[in-house]
Amino acid sequence: MQYIRSLEVGGTSVPLLVAQTAVAAGYPSPAQDYFDGTINLSEHLIHDTTSTFIVRVSGCSMEGAGISDGDELIVNRARKPVDGSIVVAVLDGEMTVKRLRLTPRGVVLQAENPQYPDLVVGELASLTVWGVAETCLHQLLA
Amino acid sequence: MSAPASGLNLCPPREPSPEEYIAHVDVNSFYVSCERAFDPRLIGRPVIVLSNNDGCAVARSDEAKALGIDMGAPWFKLAPTAERMGLVAKSSNYELYGDLSARTMQLLGRHSAWVEVYSIDEAFLGVRGTLPELQALARRMKQDVMDHLGLPVCVGIAKTKTLAKLANKAAKKNPHLGGVCVWEAVTEEDREQLLGRLPTVEIWGIGPRLAKRLMGLGIRTMKDLRDADAVMLRNRFSIVMMRTVLELRGTPCIPLEEEYEIKDQLIFSRSFSTPITDAHGMEQVLGIYAQQASARLHKHQRQAKVLSAWAMTSYYNTQDNHQPAVTVALPGPTADPLLLTRAAKALLPKILDGVKYARAGIVVTDVRPTGAQETFEPFVNRHEARDIGPLIQKIKQHHGVNAVGLGLAGMKTGPEWTMRREMMSPRYTTHWDELLTVYAS
Repeated sequence: MQYIRSLEVGGTSVPLLVAQTAVAAGYPSPAQDYFDGTINLSEHLIHDTTSTFIVRVSGCSMEGAGISDGDELIVNRARKPVDGSIVVAVLDGEMTVKRLRLTPRGVVLQAENPQYPDLVVGELASLTVWGVAETCLHQLLA
Repeated sequence: MSAPASGLNLCPPREPSPEEYIAHVDVNSFYVSCERAFDPRLIGRPVIVLSNNDGCAVARSDEAKALGIDMGAPWFKLAPTAERMGLVAKSSNYELYGDLSARTMQLLGRHSAWVEVYSIDEAFLGVRGTLPELQALARRMKQDVMDHLGLPVCVGIAKTKTLAKLANKAAKKNPHLGGVCVWEAVTEEDREQLLGRLPTVEIWGIGPRLAKRLMGLGIRTMKDLRDADAVMLRNRFSIVMMRTVLELRGTPCIPLEEEYEIKDQLIFSRSFSTPITDAHGMEQVLGIYAQQASARLHKHQRQAKVLSAWAMTSYYNTQDNHQPAVTVALPGPTADPLLLTRAAKALLPKILDGVKYARAGIVVTDVRPTGAQETFEPFVNRHEARDIGPLIQKIKQHHGVNAVGLGLAGMKTGPEWTMRREMMSPRYTTHWDELLTVYAS
C-alpha cells in the first residue's frame, strides 16, 4: 500500500518551552530541568484514535452551540450518545449535525438556531447516530 | 500462607489452562464497506469498487453480487447499464482504505497482543479461553469494529489458521451465526457435513490448479483431504500440502507470524492507463517510483542495497511481448532519491521504441535499518550527506506531493499514465481539504 497515512492533526506539537535558551552570566536556565516535551494537541483533543474522525460543518443551524459554518468537528463514532449530545446523524442518507434530545414526545434532533425547526424522529431505533461530536474547531483568523 | 513443600509445587492446583486458539478476522467487502462508512446512502445499494485506472471490479457488495457482477468484471462493459441497474461504482481510494485498515488492526490489537496482519482487510490473532469465552470474545471484536469504524467483520476461531479461515467462511455464509463462528463449538455433525460439502479449492492455500490435481486422486471435498494419507500427499505434492491436511485435523502447523513494520523488500508498481511506448515516458515513471521508494525508506528509517527495475507489455499482447528487467547493486545501503533514481534508469537502454509497455515497477531489496552497517567512507554519498531525501519529504508534506520532484518526475504537467480515478470518494481521513461534510441546515 503506497498511500497509507494515519490521521494526524496537522503539526500538532506546540512548542511550550525552548530548552537550552541563551543564558546570561553562565548560569544554566532553571527552566531546563522542567522541560518535559511539548504539548501534544492530538492527545488533548482525541480520546480514542481508532474511532475519532474530523468532519466539516456546512450551515448555520448550530450557531447557538458555538458551531459555525465551516468549523471542524472532532467526532467519536464509538461514544454512546446521551440526551444533550451533539451528534452527527444520518437522515435520509445525509449527514446532519444536531443536538440529540430524548423527550417524552420521542427523539428530537434539535437545532441551535431559532430560524431552524427541530426534527422529531420518533424512536431512537429509527435514527442512525454516526458519531458524537466532542470538540468544535473554530478558526479565529480572518 | 503455607510454604510449598518443594520448589516443584509452587503453583496451586487449578483447572487445566484454557487452550490457545487462532482467530481469523476480516472485513466484509472491505473496500465497499469503507465507502459505506462515510456515505450511508450506499448502504443497501449495489456497489462496486474498481481497480487502478477504473479497470475492473475488485470489490462487490452483496447486492452487486446478486446482480450477477463477477469479480474482475471490466468497467467499460458494466458502465452502459450501471445506471439502469442502480449500480454505483467507486474508484479505489487507497488513502481511505489504508487508514481504515490501520485503525481496524489497531483495534483488534486491543483484544490480543498477538496479531498477524495478513492483508489489508484480514488478520490472525492468538486468543485463549473456554469455548463460551471465545464466543463472547468473537462477538466483542465484531461489535467493537462496528462501533468504532462502522465496518462489518466476521470472526472465525479454531485450533489452526486453516480451520479459523474456514470457520470465518462459515460465519459469513450462515446468517444465523451472526457473523461469528467458533469451530470447536459447532456440533461435530454440522462440521462433518460442511467439510463434506465444500470443495478443496475453498481451503486456504489450495488454488484451482492444486484442487484439480487433488481431484485426480479422488480428493474432492475438504473432508476427503482431511482424511487422506498425509505422507502420501507430502510425497506427491509438498510439505505445504501435508501441513494443510494436518491443520484440517486441528494440529497447528502454520504459526502466527510476527509483524514486521517493513519487510525486507518494497515494491512500487502500477499498470498504466495509456501504455508507455518510449524510454522518455519510462524514465518519468521510474523516477517517480524511485522517489516513492526513497520516501518510504526514509519514513521507516531503512536503507536498501539492491534495486531492480522492470517493465512489461500487457498479458494480452502476444505480438510484441517484452519484459526487460535490470538489477543494480547500489554503491552502499542508501535511501537517497538521487541514487535510487539513477539506479532505476539502468532499465532505459533496454526499452524498445514503439513497444506498448502496460506496466513497470521497481523493487528495492536487502532493506535494513539505517546505519545498521557502517558505510565505507568512499561510498558515503554526497547527496545523502546533505539530506536531500528528507528535505524533499518535508517540502512534499508542507506543499503537497506534487510540489517538488526530481528530474522528469517533478514535471508539473501530469504524465499521461497518471492513474485514472474518476469516481473517487474524498480522502476523508488523510486530507484536511477533503473532510466529510456534515450539514447544519
